[in-house]
Amino acid sequence: MSKQYGFYYDAGRCIQCRTCELACKSTHNTEPGVKWRRVTETWSGSYPDVTRTFFSLACMHCEKPACVEVCPTGAIRKRVEDGIVVVDRDKCNGCQDCLPACPYGVPQFGKDGKMQKCDFCTEIGSEPACVASCPAEALYSGTLDELLEMTTGKATKRMDGTTKPSVIIVS
Amino acid sequence: MKESPINRGKLCPKAYASVQWLYSPQRLKYPLKRVGEKGEGKFERVTWDEALNIIAVKLQEQKEKYGPESLAVLSPQHRTYKDYFIRFLTVHGSPNYGHSGICAMQRAFSFAYTMGTPMASADYEHADLIIVWTANPVYAGTPMGTIKRILDAKERGAKLIVIKPEMQPDAAKADMWVPIRPGTNAALALAMLNVIINENLYDAEFVSQWCYGFDKLVPHIQKYTPEWAEPITGLPAYQIREVARLYGKAKSACILAGNAFDQNIDSNNAVRAVAILIAISGNLDRPGGNIVPMGSTMPLLKSIKPWERYTKDLIDKLVGPEMPTCFQPFIEGASSAYYHCLNSVLTEEPYPIKAIIAPGTQPAVITRNSKMVVEALKKLEFLVVIDVMQNSSMPWADIVIPVTTMYECDHPFEAPPMGMGHWIMARNKVIEPLGDYKSDYQFWLDLAVKMGYEKDFWHGSIEECMNYQLENFGMTIDELRTHPTGIMYQPKPMVYEKYNEIFAATSSRISKAPYLPQGKVAIYNTTFEEQGVNPLPEWVEPPESPTGTPELLAKYPLVFFDTHTSDVYNHGWLRNIPYLRESQPDPWIHIHPDTAKARGVGDGDWVIVESPHGWIKVKALYFPGIRPDTIMGLHGWWQGCDELGLPGYPLLDGGANVNILYNTDPKKAFDPLVTAMPKQTLVEVRKAENIV
Repeated sequence: MSKQYGFYYDAGRCIQCRTCELACKSTHNTEPGVKWRRVTETWSGSYPDVTRTFFSLACMHCEKPACVEVCPTGAIRKRVEDGIVVVDRDKCNGCQDCLPACPYGVPQFGKDGKMQKCDFCTEIGSEPACVASCPAEALYSGTLDELLEMTTGKATKRMDGTTKPSVIIVS
Repeated sequence: MKESPINRGKLCPKAYASVQWLYSPQRLKYPLKRVGEKGEGKFERVTWDEALNIIAVKLQEQKEKYGPESLAVLSPQHRTYKDYFIRFLTVHGSPNYGHSGICAMQRAFSFAYTMGTPMASADYEHADLIIVWTANPVYAGTPMGTIKRILDAKERGAKLIVIKPEMQPDAAKADMWVPIRPGTNAALALAMLNVIINENLYDAEFVSQWCYGFDKLVPHIQKYTPEWAEPITGLPAYQIREVARLYGKAKSACILAGNAFDQNIDSNNAVRAVAILIAISGNLDRPGGNIVPMGSTMPLLKSIKPWERYTKDLIDKLVGPEMPTCFQPFIEGASSAYYHCLNSVLTEEPYPIKAIIAPGTQPAVITRNSKMVVEALKKLEFLVVIDVMQNSSMPWADIVIPVTTMYECDHPFEAPPMGMGHWIMARNKVIEPLGDYKSDYQFWLDLAVKMGYEKDFWHGSIEECMNYQLENFGMTIDELRTHPTGIMYQPKPMVYEKYNEIFAATSSRISKAPYLPQGKVAIYNTTFEEQGVNPLPEWVEPPESPTGTPELLAKYPLVFFDTHTSDVYNHGWLRNIPYLRESQPDPWIHIHPDTAKARGVGDGDWVIVESPHGWIKVKALYFPGIRPDTIMGLHGWWQGCDELGLPGYPLLDGGANVNILYNTDPKKAFDPLVTAMPKQTLVEVRKAENIV
């Protein structure tokens, strides 16, 4: 889908400063315990030969979103115009079936029990707050074509996955 | 805003939580006057004017009874309002500006007296090798460019070495992480000098032309071999050798030396050794090395610091000089060490401080020996606490003064710090103050007027004060406001190797003697020799360490230290901010999983950490990237978060305040030249039983 929008993430530049987490949190005023974007980390090796890598995760806005397939009320849909996956909280019945279905653990649930997650800042109609905020220039957004064409001098590729996540990563 | 060259519109996570800071229920809304006993924390509301009258009357009383030097002002972290209270103190007749003694000035001093300049910035853009040594450019000043420049340099092909005890995110990006034991930077630097000198990896031409005392350093350095440094630093000798060779052989290499150099008693030695490394490796003021910036075409803001009023008589009255009086005033002005200002209240030596004004600083959690601090605050005759938010000193305050956040204040200017910049903008107010208070700047002007010092303080007018500072710009503050995004100036083109100029710099002390009496890098420091300090850098053990006090290891086998910075917190503030607290809900330590398991401690268990001086209760977080013999904590934990139902913690034993753990013995815990008290000690960790 040439109009598929998504994120570009450069793990080599991400410093886990959490600016993206807080930009998202304060823009959308998500409640305590709910993070539409979070920076995870993976350790490997053993001291002193350890490695520590980060991943800034929001929603992958997958080409074949498992959450949409599994949702019994049709509350989750993939927008035709830009491929962004959004949830209508009025239609959501709080069954949480989407959570185990998503390979990335994206769906979040707050006090009202309804699913909520990254909507690419489409509801507020702006560039994703996380992307605008990143001080390390590790995070970008755009159509997948645009992101693949970005001249960073680095080899990039689309992230692998059965649900075809709309994320370009540095390989 | 993108137009700001300081951050180009980027922020950090704490800044994104600003709306909760601004509107926090814990904001101080109106001035308070103590009713009841000190420590009870009982106050009644008074007006700004009433509060300032009370302060002025008290200060006048004490000036007559004890002398004006009985007033000390404890320093916040670097703020543009510092100049206002340093001016107030000096006009009042007190030299007791209580600078922390554990930050920035400690490095600046030893750099200045070794290479003629208090600071030489790393030239990342041209470096083949970058060494980040204890600094944390990820959590500190995240959007101000340093970490981005380092990442860009890496992508250009530069190599990155990060030297620190824990793999913080910057070390995760390094080509080599050097997991040094806390408190041993001088030992590593001396061993690196040993290798670079003995393997002829130094710039002989620079040394012969621009260095004084290299011939004396050569025999002195022989004992500091990598094998000697290995048991002290906990680093294998081969790695020390490798780092030294990489630095010595690099075509261009720069070093970013961080706050840990200010916070251990090896400070002056460690910094001098690093300065000598920069000099003899041929990296001083050369592309890719540590350079002295040229500044810009921007006129200088006129300083309001009263330099002309520093006399020997005034300096001699310092209650606890941060650096020896013969070196004062240093670049910020005359200063006593924050710790000594407080301690004098108890010891009454050389005389007791009788009044403390504490703006934007929290003595009970931020300096060493919080037990001493609390006793001092109890005994202190008069305490004024100035803050935006409720703070940990309030229970002992006589007067609490609320002040504006920067969002509620339209003065003075935004400009990069310390004359390093090329941009100035008039500050804009976003909202009106939410309570009965004014700004820090206005507080000092108003207090000065009440004290009868109005002739020295623009009759209390912040506009007149700003216009005075802007004189060299040929414009008033009203004219500056007509530039909504400020004015940019051109940086001056860089000139390298300006050694004649750098090495001729005069110091700001009374004698105005040059930093470098020989006009060369002071490898052998005759100025320090005159003060009875070793003219060559040497290794000094911290008060408690595995190699210095091995007899303590049976009971306290692990090294504890605390980190200066955090992604979501700042010193003693921000634990009450829900957006931030949810990321780090509990006070923690980082512990290697093996070290924890050996003690039956699981990931996330509450533990007791005990040193020879006190104990705290914190959560143990498994951390694979930390020395197994070392535990890391974070200072500043005291406050609860009501909105999240998370508690605060006691300030002393059984709380989470790391500053009760460290040694403060006057004979052992102070660098003789720069104060620099340790943030490192020996501890044991055990699982906390279910105690209340």
